[in-house]
Amino acid sequence: MSRRAGIIGAIIRKDLVEFTRDRFYVLITVFGLVIYVAMYWFLPSSVDETIEAGIHWQGGLPQELSDGDGLEFTPFDSAAALEAAIDGSGDVSVPIGLDFPAGFTESVRAGTPTTVRVLLTTDVPAEYRGAMTSFVRELAFLISGADLPVTQLDTTEVILGEDRAGDQVSLQEKMGPMFVFFMLLIETFALATLVATEIQARTVTAVLATPTRVADFLAAKAIIGTTLAFGEALLLVILIGILGTGPLVLIVTLLLGALLVTGFGLIAGSTGKDFIGIVFWSMLFLVPLAIPSFAVLFPGSAAPWVRVLPSYGLIESIVRTTSYGDGLTDLAGPLLELAGWCVIVFAAGLFTLRRKVATL
Amino acid sequence: MTEPAIRVDGLHYAFGANTAVDDVSFTVAPGEILGFLGPNGAGKSTTIKMMTGLLDPQAGTITVLGMSMPGEKEAIQAEIGVCFEEKNLYLNMTGRENLVFFARLFGIKGLDPDPLLRRVDLFDRADDRAADYSKGMRQRLMVARSLVNRPRVLFLDEPTDGLDPVSSLAIRRIIREEADRGAAVVLTTHDMLEADKLSDRVAFIHEGRILAIDAPETLKLAHGKRSVRVRSQRGGEVEESVISLDGDGADDEIRRAVGVEGLLTIHTEEATLEDIFIEFAGRGLR
Repeated sequence: MSRRAGIIGAIIRKDLVEFTRDRFYVLITVFGLVIYVAMYWFLPSSVDETIEAGIHWQGGLPQELSDGDGLEFTPFDSAAALEAAIDGSGDVSVPIGLDFPAGFTESVRAGTPTTVRVLLTTDVPAEYRGAMTSFVRELAFLISGADLPVTQLDTTEVILGEDRAGDQVSLQEKMGPMFVFFMLLIETFALATLVATEIQARTVTAVLATPTRVADFLAAKAIIGTTLAFGEALLLVILIGILGTGPLVLIVTLLLGALLVTGFGLIAGSTGKDFIGIVFWSMLFLVPLAIPSFAVLFPGSAAPWVRVLPSYGLIESIVRTTSYGDGLTDLAGPLLELAGWCVIVFAAGLFTLRRKVATL
Repeated sequence: MTEPAIRVDGLHYAFGANTAVDDVSFTVAPGEILGFLGPNGAGKSTTIKMMTGLLDPQAGTITVLGMSMPGEKEAIQAEIGVCFEEKNLYLNMTGRENLVFFARLFGIKGLDPDPLLRRVDLFDRADDRAADYSKGMRQRLMVARSLVNRPRVLFLDEPTDGLDPVSSLAIRRIIREEADRGAAVVLTTHDMLEADKLSDRVAFIHEGRILAIDAPETLKLAHGKRSVRVRSQRGGEVEESVISLDGDGADDEIRRAVGVEGLLTIHTEEATLEDIFIEFAGRGLR
């Protein structure tokens, strides 16, 4: 046992020497860390939920149109000035405009038809359009003093988990998991290159002509890959200040994530015949694996097929820990799923490398 | 009688439909250098891979130092040294680090690599990365690496291929020293002169089969043509004749040639190993 440990230790020490002396590995690791940390801190850490809207109302603004409840109104003297503010040609710019016709108050009180123009920039989300229309209708009812069509109906909001109303998940929070995931992926490239170099240079043959077993070689690569990936990802979560949100669950998640990318690194390194080959295989894995981290950026649940991707459990666990304060018990499902993928991918990586070594 | 360091019997290996090694049998005694001669693809490297535990034989038996391969692979690998044809060094590591790393794989802690580095004339460049070494220096480091565990059996695959005369000479000297120390040496080479000078016995391998195995001198005497080339000058013209020593009446012909007026030169000619290989295989070594 101690002899095996000595051999594995010797290979790990050798790999560390090679890793630190290769400018490429060092550069992409340091560069990745610095860039991701810098980008994270440059991203906005809060979401401004106030909706700015321009109003054209002939005469003084009614009391019902005062600012509040997340709405901020900018009055305009004419419909033309409001349109200019919407299309960007005016001095002031607003994304939404409400152009009330002359005699709006009288019309709604008299119950005669009238039309309010809702002006929008092209990039206003669809849900805002509906919200503005509803707002105008509600305003009309308020001004007319009439009841809303259904007065008996009431709704109660039940937030399952932490209520983030008024404290929405910021872009910084959304991008954090993506940066962590990409930091792990960088190690996929590094490990793949390390493995491929051993195969191409046939140094693995020289190693296996000594009392080193194939299992020792594979164990050393797995340990070095997982340790480097985990270490760098852990350093990143410390530097971007999210480790404190759930240290235990984050450490477990990163460890599993490191095992996952190491498995992919072993496959890419064993399969790619040269650097371009490694990049090709790594990219082939990278694109689908990155999808869950992009899915986090958009509201709503991820599509069912995204949920079965190997990296989904990793991203889901990081997001739910850092943004919603979930713990190990809450995340048992995604973490088990991630662990399952780790076993599959890691086994596939070891199998591919063993096959490659056997055919040298 | 001394037990052979290597005993190979009925060895067979095929890559799919292509037979690489076919019923190969031989022995190598401790302190003996066996030269493996054959063209590319003859089966030399595959045979060495099986003897060093990198490939499992599909048929036949290999015994090294009384232990069977692959059953006792690790124990055998602890006693052997291998110098590969490919310069498979860790180029980002120094010469010294390469040796120390491989020593650790043999379970040798605290190896002092300096004597080995001095032996291959790399002591002054020991702390330079192998990437900065010349081809000859890398090859010498490969040889040094194969000696870190003081092997009882040494496998050397084309150890002097493409090297300058100085590096080749240094490596040949080391091979001879190792054999003198008692190590059994299996040497594959394309270089006939090297095989002739170094090997106690040579094995001709072609298309996976051993065609002949014996001492170079014995092979040359048994299979090579011997002759004497005589050049003389008569009436301003140079005449040349070749007298075969294998036929009848050779003695009389030589006496007559020596007595010829205007004798310029007499050269004895004997077959090279390559000539004999061609006789066996019907083709050259390259």
